[in-house]
Amino acid sequence: MTNAFWDKLLALFSWACALLLVGAVSVIIGFLVVKGYQTIHLELIFSTTRPLDALLFKQQVFDGLFPAMVGTLFLVVLSMGFALPVGLASGIFLAEYAPPRVKWIFSLLFDVLAGIPSIVVGLFGFSITIFLHHSFSDRIFPCLLISSLSLSFLVLPYIIRTTQISLESLPLQVRLTAPCLGATKLENIFLVLLPSSLSGIVSGIVLAIGRCAEDTAVIMLTGAVATAGVPRSIFSSFEALPFYVYYMASEYADPLELTKGYGAALILLILCAGLFVVAYAIKTRLTLKTPYRF
Amino acid sequence: MMEKEIKIQTKHLWFYYHGRTILENIQVEIEKNVITSLIGPSGQGKSTFLMTLNRLWENIDGARAKGSVDINFGNGFEDIYTVPVSRLRRQVGMVFQVPNPLPMSIFKNVAFPLRLMGEKDQIRIAQKVRDALERTFLWGEVKDRLSEDARTLSGGQQQRLCMARALILEPQVLLLDEPTSSLDETSGRVIEDLLLDLKRTCTIVLVSHYMDQVKRIADNGLVLTDRQLKQH
Repeated sequence: MTNAFWDKLLALFSWACALLLVGAVSVIIGFLVVKGYQTIHLELIFSTTRPLDALLFKQQVFDGLFPAMVGTLFLVVLSMGFALPVGLASGIFLAEYAPPRVKWIFSLLFDVLAGIPSIVVGLFGFSITIFLHHSFSDRIFPCLLISSLSLSFLVLPYIIRTTQISLESLPLQVRLTAPCLGATKLENIFLVLLPSSLSGIVSGIVLAIGRCAEDTAVIMLTGAVATAGVPRSIFSSFEALPFYVYYMASEYADPLELTKGYGAALILLILCAGLFVVAYAIKTRLTLKTPYRF
Repeated sequence: MMEKEIKIQTKHLWFYYHGRTILENIQVEIEKNVITSLIGPSGQGKSTFLMTLNRLWENIDGARAKGSVDINFGNGFEDIYTVPVSRLRRQVGMVFQVPNPLPMSIFKNVAFPLRLMGEKDQIRIAQKVRDALERTFLWGEVKDRLSEDARTLSGGQQQRLCMARALILEPQVLLLDEPTSSLDETSGRVIEDLLLDLKRTCTIVLVSHYMDQVKRIADNGLVLTDRQLKQH
């Protein structure tokens, strides 16, 4: 058979795979929309509480999704707040400073870390909590802070490896441009290399945000509960949308509760989409604006 | 007869990349304020030789050099390894084969080296940017779009922008690694005219694959073959 035949077959196979993937995503989103759209209204989110009172945290919302939405948002922001600086710094270290042997060992370790199941990370967070509870203070319990730290540990490898790979994949000519003009290594990294590899780094951040927002196994062991309300501090337990979806799917008492679970899943998708849009907007802004002003 | 004034001299210069010898015992003198061409087959180390003149090889993993490179910046010959690397690279500018504008506006690209030097005076920066763009015959084409992303310029314009960026610090030496090879003939001729104008104030070392270009603009020639550099 001719090469042209195999070329066409491969192209056809690639198209079929891509369409299958898009089809699967469409089916999942369509299924959630069909099952959950009827429940999407203010009552599902705020129940009988006035929306303004809930938004201003004047009144707690019982039997609505608002606390879970706020909990998820806090969780994502806190986790990314912990993971981003450490992840970016580690990625920069591996790409720009680490000797080859150290780079090889660390890269391998981070790849292994990325493959650890989230339930194991959750158990680790839980064990640390018990240890702290016994060793330091009996007021330490699973809470938003421990969940966020555990989640940031879970997503750290994504941020580190995407930062490292994005920096390493820059062409040599781009790497040499600023040093040629007298830039130091640090100036080269912050003024040229990071802005040039922003696209890849943001992709890693978006992946990490998605992982933080959807992970259930970690938070159910480290702080999420079904009816905690809006968390008062980082030391409070909290509600989260993925945990709510899991809880509703496994413990529902009537079909209406299950429909609420579908609604919560739909809201989780919308929340994630919103966070992705924010991440991309920041990326676009940073790419268009230069990293310094005269 | 006027005696030749030497700007750069190398003595027993060797260069290795991951243990492989690329340049072998290079001893060469480069005359001041002329265009010296560097020709030779591909992959022989012409670009590498340029990088030994501004220590850019130090930014490449696995690269190693030994021997000396001395440049006369006006106070007699100085070993480039005794000069702070930032100062050296401001005096020895370099332009690559493929234009490499930074991911920022046209204005900020050209002003970038001034920023690295800590220049804060806005009026002085604007004037120097304009001068550099005028020297590279680019001002007329970009003066109304200075805030646009430099990557939106054509290939020829990008290369002239890179030259403007290298020239804004008024370097004494300019290293050019096949600066016209990715350009069309017209853009290439504009760059050649620019080089002929520049040699009044600058010592230029030009790597080129085009013999007709070398004949047109070069005053001296060096040939690199079998790791050895010889006067042409």
